[in-house]
Amino acid sequence: MLLRLSGSLREALGTRRRQAVDEWFPGGNGAEAEHLFLRATALFRTGDGETAMRLLRQAIEMAPAFSDAIEAEGEALDMSGDTAAASAKYEQARRLRQAGRPGAPDRHFVLRQQGAHTAEIVAYTRVLKSLKKFALPHLARGNAYLADRQPDLALADYERTLKLHPNSLDALALKGEALSAMGKYGPALEALDKVIAARPKDPEALNARGIAHMALGHVEQANGDWRQQFALLGGRPAASAYVAMRLADHEGALPHLETMVRNDRRDPYWTLYLRSALLRLGRPLPADSIVDDNSWASSLLALQSGKASESEVMARADSAARRAEALFQLGVAAHARDRSAAGSYWQQVVDIGLPSLVEYAAARNELARSAS
Amino acid sequence: MFSVIIYGRNDTHGYNLHKRAAISFNALAEVMSDPDDEILFVDYNTPDDHPTFPEAIHDTLTEKAKKVLRILRIRPEQHAHLKSKTHLVALEAQSRNVALRRSNPRNRWVLYTNTDMLLVSRTEGESLSDILGSIPDGFYQIPRFELPEMLWEAAFDRRDPAGNLAKLRDWSVRYHLNQVVHNFMPMKYDALGDFQAALREDMFAIHGFDESMLLGWHCDSNLAARLALYRGRVDTLIDKVFGYHCDHTRVAAANNKGRQTRMNDQDQYIWNVSTPYVPEQAENWGWPDVEIEEVRLDRETSYQRFTAGLDAALKPATVPYTSTSLEWFLYDDLTYDIDHTLPFVADQMLTYPRSTSVMIVGTRGEFVERFLTAWRAMGFTGPVLVPNECEGLPSDLEGEERGAFEDLLPRAEMFIFEFGLATQHADEPVRIGRQAGPLDTKRLKVVAKLFRQATSTEAETRPPGRRTPRRFVGVNVIYNRFWPLFTDYVGANINPFCSQVLAGLPRVDPSLRGKVLRFRGRRAL
Repeated sequence: MLLRLSGSLREALGTRRRQAVDEWFPGGNGAEAEHLFLRATALFRTGDGETAMRLLRQAIEMAPAFSDAIEAEGEALDMSGDTAAASAKYEQARRLRQAGRPGAPDRHFVLRQQGAHTAEIVAYTRVLKSLKKFALPHLARGNAYLADRQPDLALADYERTLKLHPNSLDALALKGEALSAMGKYGPALEALDKVIAARPKDPEALNARGIAHMALGHVEQANGDWRQQFALLGGRPAASAYVAMRLADHEGALPHLETMVRNDRRDPYWTLYLRSALLRLGRPLPADSIVDDNSWASSLLALQSGKASESEVMARADSAARRAEALFQLGVAAHARDRSAAGSYWQQVVDIGLPSLVEYAAARNELARSAS
Repeated sequence: MFSVIIYGRNDTHGYNLHKRAAISFNALAEVMSDPDDEILFVDYNTPDDHPTFPEAIHDTLTEKAKKVLRILRIRPEQHAHLKSKTHLVALEAQSRNVALRRSNPRNRWVLYTNTDMLLVSRTEGESLSDILGSIPDGFYQIPRFELPEMLWEAAFDRRDPAGNLAKLRDWSVRYHLNQVVHNFMPMKYDALGDFQAALREDMFAIHGFDESMLLGWHCDSNLAARLALYRGRVDTLIDKVFGYHCDHTRVAAANNKGRQTRMNDQDQYIWNVSTPYVPEQAENWGWPDVEIEEVRLDRETSYQRFTAGLDAALKPATVPYTSTSLEWFLYDDLTYDIDHTLPFVADQMLTYPRSTSVMIVGTRGEFVERFLTAWRAMGFTGPVLVPNECEGLPSDLEGEERGAFEDLLPRAEMFIFEFGLATQHADEPVRIGRQAGPLDTKRLKVVAKLFRQATSTEAETRPPGRRTPRRFVGVNVIYNRFWPLFTDYVGANINPFCSQVLAGLPRVDPSLRGKVLRFRGRRAL
């Protein structure tokens, strides 16, 4: 209760207490659940497995997708001899970690990760208690915060790294990413400019700067960065496909998308994007590409093939990102018959979507192209 | 599904290496079930005249292990450019990267482990291929459990991996072997290098192991730090596999000098790692442009090549045995039996690269002819160089190249000096007190002169770019008047007379006598 109150007071005042180097802050699974996790893991180490398991179960009840707590419960069950139940918990944790959509493959490696990283944050905070002056624990924890969608905490770790290692371009690039994630595109550009001046062939920094430029409406600069990135990727199909899609270069994206559809059958977005590119190029669609499940990507594929209506899919879009994805596909579908309708959908993508979304960049480029 | 990457050399790294390695190779093969699975063993810097480590213990390996094992041989010459930068004779990062570059591209996973590990799936009957096929992308480690030396040494049967794994299941409970040793993140567990499973694609993306780590130790922790950054998470497979390490602390390994052990800087390679990538080696990690020999134990083995060579060059004996003698009065008799000697000459060649070019300086045409037949049949592709100065030798043999000695010298990668009698016939009795005639003496003088010159100038006449000394094989140089000559210039062992053959590298004798000998040799005096 005290925790809840102090948290809401801080939120009400709009301030966040300055974080000490080795201080831990809860993240994506919620403060209460993560505190329980922390206590449970400490108790487990002291040999009180029973209480630990009870606390972990409470935490999981509060945050059912808390994979680290589920895995910790698995470990506790395993050590108590219940191997079968332990195994089920480990599997459940793995499934949960796989459930979300991974980050875009053309982005910085940190942003390709997904979900809460509570265990990592806790573990690196523990390392920082004894190793405060080294880059790795700061960066690793910062990355975990960034993946956990807490860019302000990530930024604090990156800045501490830069204090210790002022010349670290890796920390500076991550600082740029954190700033960008906080919507501070101007300062992000400043950081990324420095990184690219020193490392002009850094594809991930170029990608990040492209996103910051695009967010600020600098379409040409953004495209310039992405074209450079594309050239540096050496044909790596996943990243190349995404960069080409950001550029709305459907012809360029096509061979890479075809490769990815062949190589990675687990991710239905490859099929979705391949079909989008074919539609935009006015080419026939392959027949066997519909995934028949209840996933969000299936809804988009159904929308693309006319098996689901706009209203049905928009009703399922439960986040700004999903709404932007759906609107982008509506634009693609409309383009051949009604360019102005397509433009209106794409404008909505730009209005509501995050600049890091591939659909955001593609929509902006489509709009810029139709305006010229 | 996965490529296991391990490394080593044909030496004695720690206690009873041969047994623990055989146990491990067989056990690793035992948990493979996908047709694409492979064990890549990088044999790093084994001396050229030795077989690779797995070849040396091949008879203790199971058929399955031989089938999945690919041996990538890195020669001393390929290590020579790093020799001055390290005290170690085998380099982990280079070895593992050479294997990664050449691993089966169809495999999703790469498993880094060592030649003393046994992996036991917790669900009996489940293979590691099944396990790795069922888990999401990530970077996985498991804790390492120690196995007392007595248990693996006394109770394991090298060629019964299934039985050994069953014993482990039993012992782990009876003897409380399973203790997880946690470690700081990103290492997660102690002794993490014995099981690091990463996506092959991720390993390529981060440029493999950091090849600037030349002093030993912490390569695994560096990889963990970099993959932890890249993947964001260090996952465990403790629910699926247990890993057991054959403890070998009775004798310290070469890279373990207690507190005096030199090692890679922990701060630099673990705690100050700030990126998963190693951009300095982005283009050249794993030596992509270097030709690395691949050796198999299930096909074209050394034994098969050896017998193919000899079968092509020799007819079976028609008598139960032949005889010769060491008696002192035969010291000047240079007759010898080619049929008997050729197997020992061929034996000196087999461990060398197939592309080796060999120079033969000799007197007996029949020796050159028979050797060349065996050479080709053993699968060697390099030329056999014969100097024009050697008169009376055949010059029209397939694969033979004639030329001036001076011109051939920088092309030769190995030398054979044969000291026989040019006038000896094939059916002549051996060592019965025959003296050399004028023609024999004339030809032998040429061979001796070229021998002195070749050994004395070996360092400056090497093929361009070559750093390591070339090997000299002496035929018919034991217990006769050419024995002192050969051993004055070549550091050869004392071999039994029966083999007729000595071999070694040029001697660098710093004494006045050695200097005089080299001076004479260089000036062909």
